[in-house]
Amino acid sequence: MSNKVYAFRDKVNLTFFPKHQDAIYRRLEDKHTSVEVDEDPLGTLMTINLGPQHPATHGVLRCVIQVNGELILKSVVDVGYLHRGVEKLAENKTYQEFMPYTDRMDYLAPYSNNVAWCLAVEKLAGVEVPYRAQWIRTIACEMARISAHLLWLGTMVMDAGAISMFLWTFRERENLYDLFDKMAGVRFTVSHCRIGGIQYDLSDDIRKGIINWKENFKKEFKSWKKLLTNNGIWYRRNIGIGVVSKEDAIAMGFTGPSLRASGVPHDIRLFEPYLVYDKLDFDIPVRDEGDCFARFQIRMEEIAQSIRLLDQLLESIPSGDIRADNAKHTYPSKNEVYYSMEGMIHDFMMTDMGVCPPKGAEIYSAIEGPKGELGFHLISDGTGSPWRCKIKSPSFSNLQMLEKMLEGSMIADTVVLIGSIDPVMGEADK
Amino acid sequence: MASNIIKGDKSERELTFMGKLYFPEIFKGMAFSIKHIFRPTVTLQYPEEKPDLGPEFRGRPVLVKEKDQERCVACGLCARACPPLAISMQANETADPKERFPEVFEIDMLRCIYCGFCEEVCPEEAIVMSPDYDFNFVDRKDAVYGKDRLLIDKNQLQPRLNFLAEKRNKQFGKNINFKEDNNGHILRDRTND
Repeated sequence: MSNKVYAFRDKVNLTFFPKHQDAIYRRLEDKHTSVEVDEDPLGTLMTINLGPQHPATHGVLRCVIQVNGELILKSVVDVGYLHRGVEKLAENKTYQEFMPYTDRMDYLAPYSNNVAWCLAVEKLAGVEVPYRAQWIRTIACEMARISAHLLWLGTMVMDAGAISMFLWTFRERENLYDLFDKMAGVRFTVSHCRIGGIQYDLSDDIRKGIINWKENFKKEFKSWKKLLTNNGIWYRRNIGIGVVSKEDAIAMGFTGPSLRASGVPHDIRLFEPYLVYDKLDFDIPVRDEGDCFARFQIRMEEIAQSIRLLDQLLESIPSGDIRADNAKHTYPSKNEVYYSMEGMIHDFMMTDMGVCPPKGAEIYSAIEGPKGELGFHLISDGTGSPWRCKIKSPSFSNLQMLEKMLEGSMIADTVVLIGSIDPVMGEADK
Repeated sequence: MASNIIKGDKSERELTFMGKLYFPEIFKGMAFSIKHIFRPTVTLQYPEEKPDLGPEFRGRPVLVKEKDQERCVACGLCARACPPLAISMQANETADPKERFPEVFEIDMLRCIYCGFCEEVCPEEAIVMSPDYDFNFVDRKDAVYGKDRLLIDKNQLQPRLNFLAEKRNKQFGKNINFKEDNNGHILRDRTND
């Protein structure tokens, strides 16, 4: 035990979870240490807590770093400040009741989470979803992806010092949220998906609204690209920063755009198509460099691909039902509830017992969310709520790499590094 | 359909001569900012100006009052469906032995997450989401809304009720002849039955 650990501990009064704090500082001190060093003879090392209440850490992420001048020698990342026990909540709610909670995980793309959950439950219970519902879900998923990437673009450019860009991307996000409001009834936490379909149909007015927005957005997006392309300041902040090799990316479990920036062409939309992605035409951008700039490029191209997908999706929406016609799998229509006894009984049964998948059924279902692979592992015990729900959240897997990326970089790059992997703490802490 | 993996070009990572000069970029950024100054503002001066919310907006849940009486029959389904357990109720019987009403109906507005499940499951269309969203309280007890604050007259909620009637999933039960009078949630006068 080095004296320095004690020296540092004497200086601060650890009152909040002292054992946990102790473990964090000791882990920091012990990291990469093979030779016992008594003390820092010149007193050049400094321990800094970056976060949890730091705006640039995108939520409540805490990075404890040890710096020598501007160089980060060691770092420890601490998560869990936003832990709400979502997995345990799922075990105590019916499948339908849990759906609004998924909105609050990755709160930048609530619709993707809704869809991920509903697809997982539908796979578990074997629910057939009408084609039109799948189509509308795909539209909303791509809108959610654009909205999440817009926030990332704004905050990442802001992290690098350009604040006005943040306001411009947020204006476009605002328009997108107005469309979500018209579509689902709420701007942010949409809760629009239902097991076996969706809540309300997408009217033609909203379809036209999305097309109008898309045409305006294309122009805006072009102008942002013009600003950031060939921009010496932006390039120098990003190129060669936080390089993650292909091997490291796979070993540490990178997912989504960050993985594709390291040269691994993995996208669930392409390799395990869900919803209606197998009917659509889109490209998967991949970069080999694995630095912040590559991650930036991937996300920018993903926005362009999402617009391309929306072009195809909005051209014509197939007609048909929006919910499965099976009272054991989904809620009956309101007309049925109001006018028939069977409908009312089904309404009560669905609320109280919910979808009951077969006993012992176990599935893993994942979608390509804006941050990466968002998966649900569900085990059923035959009742209306899951026996076990494990959430594989992309932000949590992406954060595993952060410690390694921070070590050896400069202190000014930390915010750019955190911004480039785009974590959402609501999802990482669950 | 054709989906391809596209790799980028190395040249997109290289700065041109103008990019390397650094200063032109500062002026380019300034030009962008100045261009945005002359665009129409999108900011809403919130308490004075209110956003234009249609009937599809889910504000705070309220109980529908019809003929000076609540539609609610205290079945407790909304309380069961409520994910954050915000609703609690106590049922009682009216003078008519066939009818029930909620003696106490409380929604804890600190718990409510505005998901609209109560409205969706209600078999009487008695609880609906109102367009009301800006309300506040000074303490936690104040946040528990009782029947005094929850009951809203049907006329005020007509846009939402019309919206729900229009959006009702019509694909099922196509062979039932629906008549508005048959609807269970129309209050019946049983005195002459």
